[in-house]
Amino acid sequence: MRARIVAVLNQKGGVGKTTTSVNLTHALAKLGKKITVIDFDPQSHLTVSLGVVDPQKGGIDEVLLEGRNLAKQLIPVRENLNLVIAGPRLQEIEQLVDGGARRGDLLRKALHEGNRDEDFIFIDCPPSSGVLVANALFAADEILVPMTSDYLALQGLSHLMGTIKKFESALKKSYKFSLVMSRYIPTRRMSKDVLSVIQKYFPGQILATTIRETALLAECPSFGKTIFEYRPGCRSARDFTALAKDFLEGRMM
Amino acid sequence: MAEQDEDSLIGYDPLAWMHRSDFNQDSQKTEVGESEADSSIKFVSSTEEASNLEMDLDQAPDDVSELSSSEGEGAVLVLEPVQNIQNVAILHQRLTQMLGNFDVIDIDASNVTMIDTATLQLLLILKQTAIGLQKSISIDFPSDKFIAAAELLGIAEMLEVDQAASGFF
Ligand SMILES: Nc1ncnc2c1ncn2[C@@H]1O[C@H](COP(=O)(O)OP(=O)(O)OP(=O)(O)O)[C@@H](O)[C@H]1O
Ligand SMILES: [Mg+2]
Repeated sequence: MRARIVAVLNQKGGVGKTTTSVNLTHALAKLGKKITVIDFDPQSHLTVSLGVVDPQKGGIDEVLLEGRNLAKQLIPVRENLNLVIAGPRLQEIEQLVDGGARRGDLLRKALHEGNRDEDFIFIDCPPSSGVLVANALFAADEILVPMTSDYLALQGLSHLMGTIKKFESALKKSYKFSLVMSRYIPTRRMSKDVLSVIQKYFPGQILATTIRETALLAECPSFGKTIFEYRPGCRSARDFTALAKDFLEGRMM
Repeated sequence: MAEQDEDSLIGYDPLAWMHRSDFNQDSQKTEVGESEADSSIKFVSSTEEASNLEMDLDQAPDDVSELSSSEGEGAVLVLEPVQNIQNVAILHQRLTQMLGNFDVIDIDASNVTMIDTATLQLLLILKQTAIGLQKSISIDFPSDKFIAAAELLGIAEMLEVDQAASGFF
């Protein structure tokens, strides 16, 4: 069975894409799933968050620009969890415009060739809507959108849904789509109001567990640790374990 | 304008288009003054903009608007000619910051040649926020393009930029 390819996507910055990519994939790996996670952001925050530091080494950039085999770029970072780093040339892709639409297909081709044995491939997307995100959307079967609960995030979600619909009609496919409420502040009234608006438009598409805003989650990237290593058993670790189960079992709000 | 129930903190609902049964991409676009080539205002909803496959890199220019302040309580923010979803977040940040520091904020909209729904919604919301804080945000010297866009969206009166008023500034 082919791996499910999941793009962790939101063009808005700082909403928790990387935090979700790191901790959800580690949670899934701990539940026994085989995962590859791709750092698809030239900022390389995912790589840093997983404790890998080698900015000169090639990664997904070489796969896309030089046709190198993806299997050669896998770095085992945790049990059941492989990482493909961004690589120093990834930002060049964002600037490649000459090839037009053809450029959108690079990642999809790379992920579909060869025999892959993962259960899931996650793509941590950059906060933009350029060529990289187009590549992620070409490649993905599923889209997971981390959402914060503020007004401008709603505005951003509207923009994002427009983009996704455009891709669906251009590529004649329909994504499995889910939202995860990230950086959620349960005591704030705005959070609940934003959530209720989202529930109205995305019934059955919001993962049941909300990821709450906590200091620990903000701290762990600087130690290159996931929440399960930084503070096992803490509230945020429990949030992500519950989220991983929601994700596997399709449990929605 | 799609309104939520009165209690909600969500004023204008940006996702409302998703429930519109007659939604189609062409009807999302409304342009004003198409014929005037360079100064024509493009009134483009954010969904329409999003549907452009050749997507822009969402790099917000770091100089969206300039803050020429301030004697005591008031401050002036000058809007750049083009205001859209790309720079709305920065505008939001600046205005929120100014609201924290000043009681009276004047927004100089005289240079605006293009403004989208996202920006207009933001201005409306902040204007209402200011009233709640016993402060004021007013839009001074709105350009014709600004007024036309606000009228199209039906919020010219709320923004106090209807034709009659603007003549006196
Ligand atoms: N639930 C949370 N609680 C506390 N801090 C969080 C939480 N989620 C994310 N953060 C912090 O917020 C910041 C942005 O999060 P993150 O990097 O995951 O977002 P992103 O969407 O990947 O950002 P970018 O758009 O830059 O790629 C980081 O400093 C992260 O540590
Ligand atoms: Mg990130």
